[in-house]
Amino acid sequence: MSNTQVLQSKEQTLFRHVVQNYESKQYKKGLKAAEQILRKYPNHGDTQAMKALILSSQGKSEEAFELCKVALKNAMKSQVCWHVYGLLYRGQRNYEEALKAYRFALRLDPESTQIQRDLAMLQVQMRDYDGYLQSRRTMLQARPQNRQNWTALAIALQMSGDLAGAEDVLQKYEESMRQTPSRGDMEHAEAVLYKNTIIAERGEMERALEHVDSVAKMALDKTAVMEMRAQYLLALGRKEEAVEAYTKLLRRNAEHREYYEGLEKAMGLDRSKTEDHQKLGEMYHSWGVQSDRVDAPRRLPLDFKTSDAFRQHADKYLRRMLKKGVPSTFANLKQLYSDPEKKETIRELVEGYISEQPHTNGGAERSEPNGSADDSHSTTSKPHDSATTWELSLNYFLAQHYDYHLSRDLAKARKYIDRAIELKPSETDYTYHMTRARVLKHAGNVAEASKAMNEAREMDLKDRYINTKCAKYQLRNNQHDDAVATMGLFTRKEAVGGPLGDLLDMQCVWFITEDGEAYLRQGNLGLALKRFKAVFDVFGTWEDDQFDFHSFSLRKGMPLLAKGGGVNGEGAEGAAERKKAAKKAKREAEKAEAERKAAAAKKASPAKKNEDGEVKKEDADPLGAELLKAAGESPLEEAMKWVGPLLEMSPRNVEGQIAGFEVYIRRKKYLPALKCLLAISSIDPEHPKCHEQGCRLRLALEKLDEPLPEKARQVVDSKFLRITASKGSIEEENEEYLAKHKASALHVQGVVRVRHALHPDGSGEVKEKSAKDLQHTLDSGSTTLVQAEEGLLVLSEVVEADGKAKEAYVAKARERWPEATVFQ
Amino acid sequence: MDIRVLRPSDIPHVQQTNITNLPENYFCKYYLYHALSWPQLSYVAVDVSRPKKTPYDAPKIVGYVLAKMEEDPADGVQHGHITSLSVMRTHRRLGLAEKLMRQSQRAMFETYGAVYVSLHVRVSNIAALALYRDTLGFKVGGTEAKYYADGEDAFSMRMDLDYLRNEALDEESDEEDGVEKDEGGEVGSAGKAGDGVDGARKKERKRKVRVGRQLGVGELVERNESSVPELTNGTA
Repeated sequence: MSNTQVLQSKEQTLFRHVVQNYESKQYKKGLKAAEQILRKYPNHGDTQAMKALILSSQGKSEEAFELCKVALKNAMKSQVCWHVYGLLYRGQRNYEEALKAYRFALRLDPESTQIQRDLAMLQVQMRDYDGYLQSRRTMLQARPQNRQNWTALAIALQMSGDLAGAEDVLQKYEESMRQTPSRGDMEHAEAVLYKNTIIAERGEMERALEHVDSVAKMALDKTAVMEMRAQYLLALGRKEEAVEAYTKLLRRNAEHREYYEGLEKAMGLDRSKTEDHQKLGEMYHSWGVQSDRVDAPRRLPLDFKTSDAFRQHADKYLRRMLKKGVPSTFANLKQLYSDPEKKETIRELVEGYISEQPHTNGGAERSEPNGSADDSHSTTSKPHDSATTWELSLNYFLAQHYDYHLSRDLAKARKYIDRAIELKPSETDYTYHMTRARVLKHAGNVAEASKAMNEAREMDLKDRYINTKCAKYQLRNNQHDDAVATMGLFTRKEAVGGPLGDLLDMQCVWFITEDGEAYLRQGNLGLALKRFKAVFDVFGTWEDDQFDFHSFSLRKGMPLLAKGGGVNGEGAEGAAERKKAAKKAKREAEKAEAERKAAAAKKASPAKKNEDGEVKKEDADPLGAELLKAAGESPLEEAMKWVGPLLEMSPRNVEGQIAGFEVYIRRKKYLPALKCLLAISSIDPEHPKCHEQGCRLRLALEKLDEPLPEKARQVVDSKFLRITASKGSIEEENEEYLAKHKASALHVQGVVRVRHALHPDGSGEVKEKSAKDLQHTLDSGSTTLVQAEEGLLVLSEVVEADGKAKEAYVAKARERWPEATVFQ
Repeated sequence: MDIRVLRPSDIPHVQQTNITNLPENYFCKYYLYHALSWPQLSYVAVDVSRPKKTPYDAPKIVGYVLAKMEEDPADGVQHGHITSLSVMRTHRRLGLAEKLMRQSQRAMFETYGAVYVSLHVRVSNIAALALYRDTLGFKVGGTEAKYYADGEDAFSMRMDLDYLRNEALDEESDEEDGVEKDEGGEVGSAGKAGDGVDGARKKERKRKVRVGRQLGVGELVERNESSVPELTNGTA
């Protein structure tokens, strides 16, 4: 310790206890011991730092920072203080500052493996691959006897793009091994496969194949070896062998789509070539006949077959599934509906079955060999006979068909689902009641839908799935208390904060999101923001979890690993694989996070923008109110925190770009706004926001308070204004666009938004015109209920139409959606 | 439905499937712990027949099995353990539970030399019990009193994996590479029943995993057991 103050031996022992207590999470004990030292040495920096660390673990992060700063004053040269300082920043996810502190600590104590390790973890989490590489080199030099240090360096090299270097490091270690590793040596087995992936990544398929063959015997992950082999054979064009390899894989798992894709390629078959369909069909048939229970080879041909061949195959497939009573049949087929011909064929077939005599056809003649087991899941329900199963299946399928947005006819959907319910399948099988609720929801009747879903729930109180559905429908109907009570039937009774506390704790993202959206719908911005923030924080926790697993996988001398047995030496470099996996997880999680933020940002930002000063008046839960107040002080900066990561992590998400534009244009950041706009039009050139936001950007650029800097002006000019110049004035451009897109509600709504941006205090005439345009959208067949709802929002918030105009709109909408709660 | 090994990127979605179906839930961390410690053992059933909306669409997980190796087998015999298994109600009768379980069992056997696989199930969960016993071939080994936090007892069940040894032998001697599929060991038609399974849950809420002992100021990886793995919604 480079501490200026040297402790006496009694206190030294105590100090060690503090550290141990911290590590074993005995925080109270640790604090007590620390205070005991501090009574004798009130300015002992290291002790103060450890105390700060414990405080931060208890959630008192402000107090911890205060104390750690004092500690640093007392012991500027202590690596412990700097290390703790870094850990505190890391805890706050301020990785930049954490990095600086670690570096400082390491300078004071270059030999410290702990600090070096923490630094490396931080670097890899931040994707500072160069820094990570350097750290791993140092760590290997310090401890070359540990295999994991070699593998970790290889990973660092791989991530920095030096594949040859990575392979070389792995090779060197293998050569240095004195004896052959034992057969069950998981670390070795995984490291060898890792090396193989590097060879393949270098594009040297021939060598990768040779290598994987040479290690196949000792590798423990047999599936992985077989998959690698098949891929390499395919890449090398050794088709016969590839066919054999994929055949072997399919024999192990006949439901894995990738294997079929591989097999098709190996057989030289191409779905897009009609002349190959015969052979493809035969291939799938040969897999289908091998087991009565396999689905993939039966379902897949529907993707490529067309016209009569499709009809025949669909007929066979549908009869088989409907006869069995497989409830996911529709879900499994609806992807085909994007092809109108296939959609129509399926409808014809199933409606045809309805008119067939029961018992004579449709395979109702016998029950499946193992069919009885299928029905036995519910002891309270009597297994129904095959004729009933068949009839139920048909009505259920058609109900879903007519409920689906590409083939929607809700009256028919209701007729079929009511028929299914009449058949009284069983006391506890709520499937059909659940679908009935769904149909009601699609009619816009959220109140009745919630009631119906609750009835479904009551049929099987021990089933969490229907409980979940019911809570969701309750939230859609803004029944917060009911939803929490419903969820509470399955949450842990002892959870702090009741059911909601448990749901937050258990990272139940869907519930928190739906709850927030319901609050938003009701204009309760405080609680809405509070919920979205909670979702945001869950993602933060997940990110931190991954941080911990960098070290989990690579931690030095992990006792768990060293001991063998246990996790079988899993880690050190099994780590290789893991590590990559973790990285990938992170990327994926970040994407998901970004999307989630998008949703949140989209919703949260208008609130902030529009309400600004007024938000403080919100009558919200105290905490929600405070959150909103804080956000309301600089709403646009706050909004950036949400939309920024979204733009960074999922740039191809159109909703994210739209939200980005909204935030940037309010911040008068015209270049980034333009960037979002260009992104939207590259993702979907027909998106109505291209027009609306484009016009609004033009307008903003025409009314600049001060001219743009020269460089920005040039960009805006060449990428944007030059193109819009040909379109006449904004007014003209807008009306022309309207003429072209009269039939599309969303496009018309965009036009109205632009019009009112041009005429912020629009005259009666402008308002009237907008009200009329919006009303017209209700005549268009393509307008959906959701779009009509959005139209009403535009009418009241953008047009600020009077009561009469709104009434007229609502009355007309009600004619079309008579049950929709929103138009009552 | 695509049956494939669980990827770390599936985890948030598996977590949502779990909390939708079962009363025993876990933190993300606990899933990560499984996925990174025994990456070969957990499988998911993914609905791949969904129209794509964005390039970032999450996989629609309709079923999963979360599995591990017993770290300190009391009997000294290597064996696997099913922590949690569930299939969405909407995707039953496809045999997914069985298909997931078979993949996991084979990986336990091949990769870790597991001799048998164990699991726990609530005594009241007749549906899950039937699935394990009748469809999958598990046997009840005994009852553990008050195994669950709410005081309910558990059946502890297990299944020997020697059928896989025979399969492996068959495969080796299978010269002609024909297309006959060995279905040995597959019993009955799966997918019935409760589909929820469970796994083990100990009574303590949190337990330190050995992972972190000498970690200096690093953090301990904590396993949360508050969320007991457990059984399904059970229909019964």
